[in-house]
Amino acid sequence: MTEKISRRELLQLGVGATLAAPLAGLAPAAASAAPAISVGLFSGATEMALLDELTEMIIPADAQSGGARAAGVVPFLDRRLAERDSKIPDYAEERKRWKDGLLRVDEVAREMHGKAFLETAPEQRLAVLTRMARNEKDPKASEERFFGELKKATAGIYYTSKVGIHDDVQYKGNTLLTEFVGEDVSSK
Amino acid sequence: MAHLHRPEQKQPEADLTRVYDAIVVGSGAAGGMAAHALTARGLQVLLLEAGKKLDIESELKSMEWPYDHTRRGLMPPDRHAISFNEYTIRQPPYAKDSPYAKVHSYVQGWGGSDYSKNIVVDEKEHPYTGTGYAWVRARCLGGKTNIWGRLALRLSDYDFKAKTHDGYGEDWPISYADLAPYYDKVDLYLGIAGVKENLPHLPDSIFQRPTRLNPAEVKVRNSLLRSGRVLTPYRAGVTTDGLKHNKYRSRCFGRGACSRRSGGCDIHAAFDSPTGLIYPANDTGRLSMRTNATVREVTVDPDTGKARGVAFLDSETGQSYEARAKVVVIAASTLESARILLLSKSRQHPNGIGNSSGHVGHNFCEHVMGPGARGFVKELVGKPRTLDDGRPGSFYIPRFRNLKDRHPKFIRGYGFEGGSGTGMVPGDSVESPGFGASYKKKVRDEAGAYIDMGGFGEVLARYENHVDLDPAVKDRWGIPVLRFHYKFGDNEKAMCEDMAESAKELLEEAGIEVVHVNKRVLTEGWSIHELGTARMGNDPRTSVLNQHQQSHDVKNLFVVDGSSHVSASCQNPTWTIMALCWRSSDYLADELGRGNL
Repeated sequence: MTEKISRRELLQLGVGATLAAPLAGLAPAAASAAPAISVGLFSGATEMALLDELTEMIIPADAQSGGARAAGVVPFLDRRLAERDSKIPDYAEERKRWKDGLLRVDEVAREMHGKAFLETAPEQRLAVLTRMARNEKDPKASEERFFGELKKATAGIYYTSKVGIHDDVQYKGNTLLTEFVGEDVSSK
Repeated sequence: MAHLHRPEQKQPEADLTRVYDAIVVGSGAAGGMAAHALTARGLQVLLLEAGKKLDIESELKSMEWPYDHTRRGLMPPDRHAISFNEYTIRQPPYAKDSPYAKVHSYVQGWGGSDYSKNIVVDEKEHPYTGTGYAWVRARCLGGKTNIWGRLALRLSDYDFKAKTHDGYGEDWPISYADLAPYYDKVDLYLGIAGVKENLPHLPDSIFQRPTRLNPAEVKVRNSLLRSGRVLTPYRAGVTTDGLKHNKYRSRCFGRGACSRRSGGCDIHAAFDSPTGLIYPANDTGRLSMRTNATVREVTVDPDTGKARGVAFLDSETGQSYEARAKVVVIAASTLESARILLLSKSRQHPNGIGNSSGHVGHNFCEHVMGPGARGFVKELVGKPRTLDDGRPGSFYIPRFRNLKDRHPKFIRGYGFEGGSGTGMVPGDSVESPGFGASYKKKVRDEAGAYIDMGGFGEVLARYENHVDLDPAVKDRWGIPVLRFHYKFGDNEKAMCEDMAESAKELLEEAGIEVVHVNKRVLTEGWSIHELGTARMGNDPRTSVLNQHQQSHDVKNLFVVDGSSHVSASCQNPTWTIMALCWRSSDYLADELGRGNL
C-alpha cells in the first residue's frame, strides 16, 4: 500500500512519465498486443498481469478488432480502483472484492491444475474461466460472483473505448446529420 | 453549424428599491415562460432563480466521446448517485451521514453523469423527510429544462374532463379548446418535431421536420395500426428546422447526445428555458434577473393581505433581502412552489398564503413508470451497421386503455416510451452470457437488434398524497424542508401489471421475440413529473387556484407551474405547463392593465 501511495504522489508531482507505462492504455492508440504492464496504481505487478490475461480472455482480439488489451481495459480499471478512496466503505469493499477475487482465481487454478493461473497452459486457463462463468445468471461461489464483476468492468470499459466503439461495434453516430436516418412515416 | 449567439454575461441587476410589475420565482419551463410572456406584454419583470447561472455549453460538451473523458463520462469518485435500492430500503433524507462529499439523485447514476453534476442539486444541502421519494431537482438558471427528456405532448379532454369520463377526481376548470391556441403558440415559438396522427386523446402539434423510425419500430408501428393503436416518432421539444426569431438556438443536427446522457443540448436545438425564453425576454430590455436568490416566502401587505413581494436569501452569502412587485408569480416547480406557499405564513394567511382551502401540498400526483419489455428482432442480427441514434428521441406509443373500453382493474391510462437499434455502447454487453470470441461476436452482431419500451402511467390525484413542512429539519439555508406523505395506490399497481403484459403482447403481435418482461415499478418520484400541489378549480373550498392559475385568496398571486395541474394525465407535462403559463400570463397582463390586481 505504501508503495502505491508514494507512486500516486509521484505521478501527481509529474515525475510519473517513466513510471506511467500502464497509463499509456488510456490513450488506446498507444496500447499494443505486447503490453508493458508492470505495477499498477492500485494493483501489484502480478495482479496487473492476471487482470490483463483474464480481461483479454473475456474480450479477445479477433479479425474485426483488438481486444481488452488493445483497448487499455486494465490500466483504466486499475486507475479507477486507485482513485476510489478506501475511506468510503463502498470503495473499501470494492477494492477488497478485487484483491480477493484475483486470489480466488489462483486458488481455483491450483485446485484444478495445481498451479497459479498464469503458470497454467492456455486450455487450463480456459477451464478455470469456464468454471468461474458457469452460474453467470445466478452466481453463488465467490469465484462465480467475481466473474460477474470482472466481466461487467471489462465490457463497460471496452465498449466505451476507441477500439470498442469504432473498431468493434463500428458505431456510426455522434456526428452531424442534415437529415435524420430511418423511415419517414409522416406521409403514411 | 450556424453561429450561435451567447447572451451578454452581464445581466441587469435586480433593483430592490423599485416596485416591479411582476416578480417571477423560478426559471425553468414555467418561470421562463412567465418571463417571456409578461415582458412580451410590456411588463417590467424581475426573475429570481435560487441556483447559479452555469456556463452550460462547457458543462454539457454534447459531442465528447467517452474515451476522451478521464472517467468515461462519469462523476469524480467523491460524488455519489442514490441507487434504486437505496431509495427502496432507506428513508429520506438519503444523504444524511453519507461518506461522499456530494450526493445526487438517481439520474447522476446514468452514463455521462459528469456532464450534469453541476445542474442537479447536492442532496446534502437540500434534504427532505417523510416517505420515500426520488426527488430530482436542478437549481440553476433554466432548472430541469437543461436536461429534460424532451417528450413534448399535449393533453386532451380525456384528461381535462377525466372526471366526466370516469367519475374519479375533479375535472380541470378548462377544456382543450381553451388551451389549444396556447399549445399552438408554444409549438411555433419553441419548435417541436413529430408526426400528425389525428388521435383524439393525443392532439397533434404544429410540427417541424419529423424524426424517423428504425426498422424494428416500423415493424411495431405497422402491427399496431392493425389494432387501431399507434407507434409514433418521439414528439420532441426540439427545433428540427430552426427558429428564425431565436438567435440563441440552432436547429437539430441529429447528434443524439440528448438521448445518450441525462439530457442536455449544447447547441440548444432541444428546448431549454434560458435560450428558448429567458435570453429573448432579456432582449426586450424589460427583464431583470438575479440568480443565487433563494426565495423563502411571499411577503404580504399588512393592510390589504395582498402579496407585496418576496423575501429571499442570497444563496452564497445567506443575506436576506426583499424584492417588491405588483404581482408575484410562483414558478419554482411543483414541490418547491408548494413549499414557498406553506412557508409564507402571516396574520392574514396563517396556513400559508393562498391556502384557505387547506389544499396546498395536497392532490400531489405524477407518473408511475418502469414496467415494459425488451424484444429481439432476429432479422436484424449481423446486418451491416446503420446510424440508429441520430435523433432527439425514438418513439412513443400513446395511451390506448380506457378510451372507448373500460379496463376491469384500473382507470386512466399509460403510454410507452422506447427505443431500438445500435447505440454508442451496445446495451446487451453485460447481459449476453459467456465470454471470449463467441461472446464478443454475439454482442457485435446483436448490437442493433433490440427494441425496448417502458410505460408512463397516470397516478391518480388523491388528497391524502401530500407534502407539508417538516417541523424540525432545515436545509443549508435554515429553511424548513418538505416532508412527504406519498405512496402509489392500488390503481397504479394494477396499471403497472397491465403495462408489463401489454408491452409483451404488442411486441409479440409484431412478430418480435420478447426476451425480457420488466415488472419492476420504479420508486415514487422516478418520472420527475411531480404535479398537482396547488390545483386549479372553480371552487375555492377545494382548490387553490382559478383557471388562470391565480390564487383564489390573493388576487395578485399566481402559481404557474405543474403544481396547478388537476390531474396528472399520462402525457409528459412540460408542454402543458408552458401553454397554461402563457395563457395565464396574458390574463395577468390584461388584469393588471385593467387595474384589477
